[in-house]
Amino acid sequence: MSMAEGLQPDEFAATAARAVTACAGLDVREQAHNLAGDGLLGVIADEQVGGLALPLGFAVPVIAAAHSGLLTFPLLETVLVARSLQSSLTRLAAAIVSGKTLTTIAWQGEALAAREGGLLVLNGMVARAPCAASVDYILARMSGGAAALVPTDADGVVVEEAAGLDLTVPEHTVRLEKVEVSIGSILPAGTWDLLNSDANVLRAAAILGSAEACLALAQEHASTRRQFGHALSYNQAIRHALARQKLGLESIRHAITRSLSEGGGPVQRDAAFLAAVTYGSSIGEGALQIHGGMGFTWDVPVHRHLRRIRTLQAQGDASGLINAFGRRYVSEVAPFAEAGA
Amino acid sequence: MSVVEAVSAQSTASENLTGGAYRDAMHRWLHANLPAGFRSDSAAFAPPTLQQSIAWEAAMYRAGLTGIIWPQAYGGHGRSLREHLIANQEIGRLAMPESVNSIGKELAGPIILAVGTEEQKRRFLPAILEMRNIWCQGFSEPEAGSDLAGLRTRATRGDGGWRINGQKIWTSGAYRSQRCLVLARTGTLEDRHRGLAMFAVPLDAKGVRVRTIKSIDGRESFCEVFFDEVEVAQQDAIGAPDEGWAAAIRVLEIERATNRMYRAWRFENELRHLISACKADPALSAMVADRHYAVRLGEVAVEIEVLKAHVETAVEALVNGDKIGARGSLAKLHWSESHQRFAALALELLSQASLPQNPAIKVARRRFEAIYLQARAETIYAGTTEIQLGIIADRILQLSRGK
Repeated sequence: MSMAEGLQPDEFAATAARAVTACAGLDVREQAHNLAGDGLLGVIADEQVGGLALPLGFAVPVIAAAHSGLLTFPLLETVLVARSLQSSLTRLAAAIVSGKTLTTIAWQGEALAAREGGLLVLNGMVARAPCAASVDYILARMSGGAAALVPTDADGVVVEEAAGLDLTVPEHTVRLEKVEVSIGSILPAGTWDLLNSDANVLRAAAILGSAEACLALAQEHASTRRQFGHALSYNQAIRHALARQKLGLESIRHAITRSLSEGGGPVQRDAAFLAAVTYGSSIGEGALQIHGGMGFTWDVPVHRHLRRIRTLQAQGDASGLINAFGRRYVSEVAPFAEAGA
Repeated sequence: MSVVEAVSAQSTASENLTGGAYRDAMHRWLHANLPAGFRSDSAAFAPPTLQQSIAWEAAMYRAGLTGIIWPQAYGGHGRSLREHLIANQEIGRLAMPESVNSIGKELAGPIILAVGTEEQKRRFLPAILEMRNIWCQGFSEPEAGSDLAGLRTRATRGDGGWRINGQKIWTSGAYRSQRCLVLARTGTLEDRHRGLAMFAVPLDAKGVRVRTIKSIDGRESFCEVFFDEVEVAQQDAIGAPDEGWAAAIRVLEIERATNRMYRAWRFENELRHLISACKADPALSAMVADRHYAVRLGEVAVEIEVLKAHVETAVEALVNGDKIGARGSLAKLHWSESHQRFAALALELLSQASLPQNPAIKVARRRFEAIYLQARAETIYAGTTEIQLGIIADRILQLSRGK
């Protein structure tokens, strides 16, 4: 009997929300310990490395809850790396699932590799690596869609703070200067595409979590803030704006569900992420607008969510992806010919 | 042997069929039987006459492509909602004409199924599917568009039946219909939604007058319908007075989420047609390969994927016994606005075609100019965008209106 039998993804939402709340104020390693205790780091990893061996859909409510609660831990990256290593680097995967070893992914850039004896020497710069300054390993893309697992304490690894929007899970840039890694630390060609395809679903889930939080905050504010003798929600302009945000939110949710359904493939996964970026940023910006001047203050957390949504947009290279999405569509259609019309 | 018979021969229980076998059967029949001239993405396209449309839709019914989920006792095929979705996906993938009896199949029929008498179900429903009766919808009035509670058409008790007086407007297809589903007031105007009753009014009854209205696309499809002392038999009253409307609203909520379920796949057909036409034109083929238009076409494709997600989620929710409630407004709002954006993009692209125009561009312009104009109605009919936003705010978000 697999772990998935009798379980529903939504049942993980409450556990995840509770775990996220318990992480408040803890440093990254303490958070890893807590999250591992709740089984969340290995939600999609094999049982042999201590994971729950559940389908990707079970990670969706976990990631959504993490982002709704502004978790300051690279959870999305951790669950993906743990699963990516489970076959080739079993002990390391187990250490990640148990929270003893911390990891992240550099979403931008490629490491250049040259072989020297039994080692690979990596050079170059990779970026958009959440929490890279606090973790033990960074997974970096290589040519051909391979990936390298780089220890952050290796000679030649320089982790630098990067100017970025996200305050909650700050991004770092990583310079690789003649970094020697073993051949066993290299994940084969094709790894990155699979990883990124799953990441697109989880990014959409992350945006869903943030967008839900933004809409809830906006709705609460519109119901309690009074102007001109009425609650803001009395005004049709406000009601309609919130209704549009709700449409966007449900569109993200349904697109994620479809991407994980029987017929879901790369197109549906890309579409879920792209829809989440479009609607999520609109919901975040709309929630800020509905808060008026309050929305522009540091204390109202809408901006924290909006920062995360825009950061996820960049990590998933939404601009490049929508271009590729359109080009793929165009390339698949043959020029008009009556017989094929 | 019809498709349904062929499929049924494999199994009497539709739940035991694989989706693939059912889809293949529907796909094969449509491709084998849809006349080339009915396809708006074909150079041979010529809008079908009313009689051709009736014959085509009757053939679709016999093939198992309409009345899919209606009970067999009333002429339906008694299949599952998932099969209904599969068939509609196949319908959507072809550029075929819209039904001339969608009101009968997707509004009047479901309402009669929900609140009609046994006699009404047996009398009306097979006639709708067999295309012997075309229906129109008599809800809107000059003084009651979005706000149906303000409608003034009156139904008063007569000798063994009812007498109807009033006027309906925006009644699509009334000129070609045999029956009109009329919403009329039996109480006073102050009763608002209470005291509203529905009637299946025969349009050849004495006192009914139909006048067509020319719409922005040059067609004369929707109409004004005048009722002057029209006598309607009790057996043509749909549901009990005061109860019929409430039941109809429940049906309409489901219909809003599920009617014309093929829409997303039809929009995809339109997108593929647009791209294929552009790729046949020297200037446009370069444009659609360029990043600017690749991104914009990609955005359209994403919106279509989102619409598919709304539809499939609604189907699964209904299959699982969940209530759709007001959620149909979400899908309606999404498809109507995204289709308008797509239609505007199509016009923009096609307006930049090379000269002289090749046949592909001529076919596409004819189709997309019509789509662009007709899409302007999509945010108006079946509840305007503003009504949908209000429904979402009131019933889904439950926003306070309090002072």
